[in-house]
Amino acid sequence: MKKVLALLLMTLVLTAGFAFKAIMVTDTGGLGDKSFNDGTWAGIQRAAKELGVEAKVIMSNEQSDYIPNLTKAAEEVLKEKDGGIVFAVGFMMQDALEKVARQYPTVYFAGIDISFDKELPNVINFLFKEQESAFLVGYIAAAMTRTGKVGFVGGIPIPPVERFRYGYEAGIKAYMDLKGKKVTVIRGYTNEFSDPKKGKDLANSQFSQGVDIIFAAAGACGNGVIEAAKERTEKLAGKGYENIKKYALSGKPVYYAIGVDVDQDYMAPGVVLTSAMKGIDTAGYYGVMWAYKGQFKGGLKVLGLKENGVRMSEMKYTKEIIDKLAPGAIKELEYLKSLIIEGKVIVPDSEEALKAFTVKGVKLPR
Amino acid sequence: MRVVEAVLSIFINPQFYKIALTVATPLIFASLGGVFSEITGVVNIALEGIILMGAFTSVVFTYLTGNVWFGVLMAIVAGLLMALLHAWGSIKWAGNQVVLGTALILLSQGITGFLMEPIFGQPGQTDFVGKIDEITIPGLAKVPFIGQVIGEISPFVYIAFGCVAFGWWLIYKTKLGLRMRAVGENPEAADTLGVNVYAIRYFGVLMSGVFASLAGAYLSVGEIGQFKELMSGGRGFIGLAAMIVGKWNPIGAMLSSLFFGFFGAFANQLQSLQQIQVPANVKPLFDTIPFILTIVVVAGVVGRSRPPKADGVPYEKSA
Repeated sequence: MKKVLALLLMTLVLTAGFAFKAIMVTDTGGLGDKSFNDGTWAGIQRAAKELGVEAKVIMSNEQSDYIPNLTKAAEEVLKEKDGGIVFAVGFMMQDALEKVARQYPTVYFAGIDISFDKELPNVINFLFKEQESAFLVGYIAAAMTRTGKVGFVGGIPIPPVERFRYGYEAGIKAYMDLKGKKVTVIRGYTNEFSDPKKGKDLANSQFSQGVDIIFAAAGACGNGVIEAAKERTEKLAGKGYENIKKYALSGKPVYYAIGVDVDQDYMAPGVVLTSAMKGIDTAGYYGVMWAYKGQFKGGLKVLGLKENGVRMSEMKYTKEIIDKLAPGAIKELEYLKSLIIEGKVIVPDSEEALKAFTVKGVKLPR
Repeated sequence: MRVVEAVLSIFINPQFYKIALTVATPLIFASLGGVFSEITGVVNIALEGIILMGAFTSVVFTYLTGNVWFGVLMAIVAGLLMALLHAWGSIKWAGNQVVLGTALILLSQGITGFLMEPIFGQPGQTDFVGKIDEITIPGLAKVPFIGQVIGEISPFVYIAFGCVAFGWWLIYKTKLGLRMRAVGENPEAADTLGVNVYAIRYFGVLMSGVFASLAGAYLSVGEIGQFKELMSGGRGFIGLAAMIVGKWNPIGAMLSSLFFGFFGAFANQLQSLQQIQVPANVKPLFDTIPFILTIVVVAGVVGRSRPPKADGVPYEKSA
């Protein structure tokens, strides 16, 4: 029955002749950034496929393209019988989106990582609780460190990067509170997102100070962090996943990196401990769905663990190692995750909240 | 007191010196490239673009053949081609060298960005394609402290110092070097004495392409094993700054590159200390040091730095 209905719906939509359009305007990063542009696009495409509507992308080569591109997209949507939705992707497009959205009050817009001082009825502002996924990887880092020192490498200290850091440090604090292990965090910034060598240099600096696990929230600089950890681990264990796994399982200390935004575990199997992921595709998917089904409601929409807006990777390559060296950690993590989803633990999203953060009241299940 | 202790702890850490060397290596290549070009009288701000091209080409050929050293070789070829374009425009056609250099930078950014999709099937950045491992110098690696600094390090670091020695020897100890300097100072006089000004300038610019492309190859397959758009990160310009501070001398350029490298590594170490908390905005401040120093030196505050007299002036033979 369901299938027949779906088929009917499909033909209906098809004969209606794609009267709905979802258009995404990229920021200068463009498609292929393996981060929010690609993520949003994947979500939009998924929704468009399910609904059988048209999806389109407009690339911005420089920041001065934002306003003309958004205007062009809005005009195109206006022409459609059933309307559509325009996506603006990335923190840098904030001003452009606000301007264009005011000019086209009847067109739906969605901004990824964009928030306004005063919300507009025709714009959804998608933000993410980066801190919640970072909390989880921070807990794992604290459980896995052998030296009692873990690192954080950030790009530019903009709000999303800082939220990653607050969550990471909160996760470490949680582990210290619950397990009484002393772990210090060393943090640094590369001050940009596109120079992997700078990430590697900073990572090596932190490693030389006794750090053995680094979480990188620094765009492509993070690739350098992963490479630095890989280089050091390979020197001890030899090349290849099998060797690294065997070496790590034997209990000898190695170096780890933690990925960001997307699942980066595959980039150096066994060396990337886990990744703090931002489910940017979720935002793209729901933006299209809501606009199409008439459920669109403007305003701030913050996606966290609960909404599947952020999550941590599956730890495909490292799960065995973590289970062996930090027994129970993953199970404890599941429990903490449920507390966050229930709202019993609130992961800090500011420096003050981080200072006040504690999980002393929490009892881990036996 | 705690600050002094913390800073001292940086200086007794052998890893600090090793990181400083790796930060300085691309700058050494780039500044040496600048020296070779400018000493013959051709300003080459295209270095930044050649570095990017070198980084890209080495990753492309490593990806296609699986041989990293072949990738490096092809990077040099690409660097030569870019330099040839620059030489052709600025020597043969007596074009404005700064405009040409800028055009070449934009060209290389465009080409590398455009070719990502057809070659790697994804724009932005490639996956890890393979890299040149650090080499261990037997014996030296066992020496305390020094072994930890240079006993186990990327071969590019050694190549860079080799290139500096070669450059110094070529420029100051050979007939060709004398001619290069003459052409850069007074091309008319050199021409009168039967020196082929154009050929010498071509040589200088082409050599700068070789060195700058090595800087690029080091950044991609030498350190990370992948290419990312715009990964050259302004090193071409910092290299030019090092060349100016180093007074257009290979040894001087190397010393200033090392100095800049040490500051870069120092900023990183300072951030990574446990004893003191350094605010995040200190890093951009440190990043400006090469340029502040260049202004100071150019303004003549610390030891006058004088460019070759005919630097940037196209030579046109009077008939």
